[in-house]
Amino acid sequence: MIPFELAEPTSLAAAVKLLDPDDETVRPIAGGTALMLMMKAGVFRPQKLVSLRKIEAKYSGIAASGDGLRIGAMTTLNAVERSADVKKHAPVVTRTMRTLSNVRVRNVATVGGALAHGDPHMDLPPVLMALGATLTIVGPKGERKLPLEELFTGYYETVLDKNELISEVHVPSQGAKKGAYMKVTTGSADDWPALGVAVVLDADGGAIKSARVVGSAATTKATRLKAAETVLNGKTVDDKLLKAAGDAAIEESEFIADVRGSMPYKRELMRVYVGRAVRAAMQGTGA
Amino acid sequence: MTATRTITFTLNGAPVSADVKPHHNLVELLQTHFGLTGARETCGQGLCGCCTVIVNGRSVSGCLYLASFVDGADVRTVEALDGAGKLSPVQEAFIEASAFQCGYCTPGFILMVTQLLDEHPDPDEEQIKHYLTGNLCRCATYPEVMDAVKLAARKRKAAASA
Repeated sequence: MIPFELAEPTSLAAAVKLLDPDDETVRPIAGGTALMLMMKAGVFRPQKLVSLRKIEAKYSGIAASGDGLRIGAMTTLNAVERSADVKKHAPVVTRTMRTLSNVRVRNVATVGGALAHGDPHMDLPPVLMALGATLTIVGPKGERKLPLEELFTGYYETVLDKNELISEVHVPSQGAKKGAYMKVTTGSADDWPALGVAVVLDADGGAIKSARVVGSAATTKATRLKAAETVLNGKTVDDKLLKAAGDAAIEESEFIADVRGSMPYKRELMRVYVGRAVRAAMQGTGA
Repeated sequence: MTATRTITFTLNGAPVSADVKPHHNLVELLQTHFGLTGARETCGQGLCGCCTVIVNGRSVSGCLYLASFVDGADVRTVEALDGAGKLSPVQEAFIEASAFQCGYCTPGFILMVTQLLDEHPDPDEEQIKHYLTGNLCRCATYPEVMDAVKLAARKRKAAASA
């Protein structure tokens, strides 16, 4: 890797001050698993990295309350995977964690990093988006809240300014809602996916009252699939309905081709997997 | 501009210090400063497990971990396992089950299996596969690795009750 400077501030406020809104070569680093890959590949050449690993401990923890979970941005994916609170309030997240990358990456990678990186192949963002998560973002002027579904603007692009940091994720309780995340990996089991689909359903028996459906990996960014949701809302699940939802999903998705699949292949995956994810959620299966 | 810094940490039980550059990773630190070659950078992407190192009790991919990040940490490598002059039960089990051919991936497997058995002393096949999904063996000794994990679990249990 090319040389760079490393700053290790001990507070979130100090970290924000060290970032430069106009300098793309200064960037925050949390677990660093994703950033290290980009630096090794030479696609990211920082002058300076601002490590968040020594900021206040309160940003690495999970707290449960009546309305859901508050997850500090520096919480590792492993801590999320093991959390009894997460399992209780958002079991679809716990199930997803087991299929996300591998043990060593989960031990190091953070929740905030998985979101701020803006990589459409990540598994956690679509699931949190389907659950209706909101973010707390800290910048030089203070705090702001943002629905997660408004974070991503494109391929590795977010609405975050270069001197803003995600400090916390609020995940509403899943409650009686049914959730599933399904992904297709065309390489090894823990490879980046060719497609991810997350669904969270408010359902009564076989009838869907309301659905949130999010597609990722096959698309330029994790995207809420509202046309597919409209097809599903208020309907009883059968093969015809799920086919219609899949058809709606591919019409509203912006697909990207990569080494994991061509555009036509990913379109076909999406067409099929929206329905499969709904079925999995209804049956309480599917990671 | 990229100042060298001195970090101190515990390496295989002993306090150590080293001068590192910000862009050096943990594998480079272990190899160049301490001559420890058990962790080796191979895929360079955290997928293969050959660079596994234990930091503060948790496995990490040394190739994706900045050397600076182990400042103040407890670091353990495969070289610590036979520190008492005797192979660990997991090491013995890999030999007895012939769970390697060329041996290149073996240190990573040994460390991950040790972690696995610390968490799940009596793992089922599904748990073993889940835990080792990030370890690749190009000689494809996976069936023997499965045998070795089960054998190691029995050895550890026997040692604990002895």
